[in-house]
Amino acid sequence: MTRVRVTAPRQSAKPVPLRFPYGGEVPEDSDVGRVFVRSLIRSQLRLALVVACGFLLILAAFAMLLVFGPGVAETRILGIPLDWLLLGLGIYPVIGLSAWLYNRAAARNEARYRDLVEDK
Amino acid sequence: MNPAVGLVAFLAVSITTAVIGFYGLRISRTTGDFYVASRTVPPWWNASAIGGEYLSAASFLGVAGLILLSGTDALWFPVGYTAGYLMLLLFVAAPLRRSGAYTIPDFTEARLDSRMVRRVTSLVVVAVGWLYIVPQLHGAALTIRITTGLPSWVGSTAVVLVVCVTVVAGGMRSITFVQAFQYWLKLTALAVPVIFVLLVLAGNDTPHQAQLPVNPTGQPATSAYQNISLMVALLFGTLGLPHVLVRFYTNPDGQSARRTTLIVLGLLSVFYLFPTLSGAVGRIFAPELAQSGQADALVLLLPGKLVGGTAGELLSALVVAGAFAAFLSTTSGLVVSLSGVISQDLFGGSVRGFRLAALLAAVVPLGFAFTTDTLALAGSVGLVFAFTASTICPVLLLGIWWRGLTDAGAIAGMVTGALLCGGAMVIGTVMGQGNAPAWLAQPAAWTVPAAFAVTVAVSVWTKNRVPASVNRVMSRLHVPERPVATER
Repeated sequence: MTRVRVTAPRQSAKPVPLRFPYGGEVPEDSDVGRVFVRSLIRSQLRLALVVACGFLLILAAFAMLLVFGPGVAETRILGIPLDWLLLGLGIYPVIGLSAWLYNRAAARNEARYRDLVEDK
Repeated sequence: MNPAVGLVAFLAVSITTAVIGFYGLRISRTTGDFYVASRTVPPWWNASAIGGEYLSAASFLGVAGLILLSGTDALWFPVGYTAGYLMLLLFVAAPLRRSGAYTIPDFTEARLDSRMVRRVTSLVVVAVGWLYIVPQLHGAALTIRITTGLPSWVGSTAVVLVVCVTVVAGGMRSITFVQAFQYWLKLTALAVPVIFVLLVLAGNDTPHQAQLPVNPTGQPATSAYQNISLMVALLFGTLGLPHVLVRFYTNPDGQSARRTTLIVLGLLSVFYLFPTLSGAVGRIFAPELAQSGQADALVLLLPGKLVGGTAGELLSALVVAGAFAAFLSTTSGLVVSLSGVISQDLFGGSVRGFRLAALLAAVVPLGFAFTTDTLALAGSVGLVFAFTASTICPVLLLGIWWRGLTDAGAIAGMVTGALLCGGAMVIGTVMGQGNAPAWLAQPAAWTVPAAFAVTVAVSVWTKNRVPASVNRVMSRLHVPERPVATER
């Protein structure tokens, strides 16, 4: 087997034209294609913002509870103070759940886009 | 602690790393292999590798040390480190993979069609990388000093040597194997000793009465501003880290980039349970470490202190091995991505250039590490996140989601963020830790919005500079790839 030399990706040579990843269709060439792409981007952005804001609200609620919650530092479950449990353990499932829900919804948005393009 | 224990552990990790690196060299054949592992790395491997690379000295030593010092306030650090990956998943993961960019400068150049933006981004990326390597080397210096009694410089120099050897020899493919191995090593090295310590403590009767004291170390509580600013830095800093982006290129498509990120979140969540546990145990049984300024060494000293005997020595060896895995993996991840940037911009992207660039990327921060000193690892890494969030994050987020971004806006935003945040870091360092006011010590809460505002304002002002390719690039970023197996 021969060794192949690495050459720089799109640096010294003229940039390779970006190949469109989806099949042979080039959506930005038609008005309809452009509308589809714009609506896909908008729905993905809306989804990401909704999940991010939801998560940040929950995070803020945790923080509020720690600062203002009555007796959070004194409450103990199995001998561990509640504030340690909330921040050291309780928040991680929230992160994982947000991520999982987002992945499903984002894949659904993309599937909807694919269906639209194929039906066209 | 017996000095031999630390030395043996360090040698074992270095040799294993080098062996996996050379094993990778044998199968690293083609150009694609060398740079990006041909995108054939399966999601679990890739996720372990991302976790391995991400969990640095700050996570392995710093988090537990900070929890020992300041209790629940410090619990925000691991939460932020993990939630940063959530933000990365939501806003960056799939589009960035689809962009086909290998480095952040590649991305900004392709998106904004400007060589000037590329150069500015490269400078910022190299600054971030160097800033981030320094705390790793400080961690190595601390570990060597505490465990073997050798002078500090031995630790940092050894890490740089091992990293240079593996990166120069193997490239990316072997790095992926090394990183994935090191995630699991780090997890074991933290989890086993903590669990063992807990079992020993449960075996004795007295600790049943032991409870988490409210404030054994007498540290002042951090203000709400500091906590919020820290969260801004960690949430928005993660998605701009240069070594993170390189990893995403090894996923076959956008969908698998998301799946990989989800696995990473799981791996990080599991990992951070253990520094938290160590910190809590340390707060009960070893608060005196905080007074003697050895908080960051808590994880290293805990097994010897609470278990003792041969078992304690073995556990200590395991922890030291894990600590070096942390320094080695983060440093090599950063060196790989920095060499990618430096070699393409300076050496035209040949393999020889990549190797030269790797040396350059690793040796410069070693100089910084010799001339500076740090008090808290988690804190200094937190500042690097603040810098990333104020420079790279606005360009990435706006570049992916907003058609109106222009090259002038991107440059203005990066320069503003770098000057404000870098300035705050320099002034804060000069004034000394503890003396600087909160807004200088933790600048992200105002530097990040400022960088965003300048980027948007200048972009709107220079509307005519929006590149002609914007529609093409935007659809490339967001349109899903053709499914590999077509169902219909």
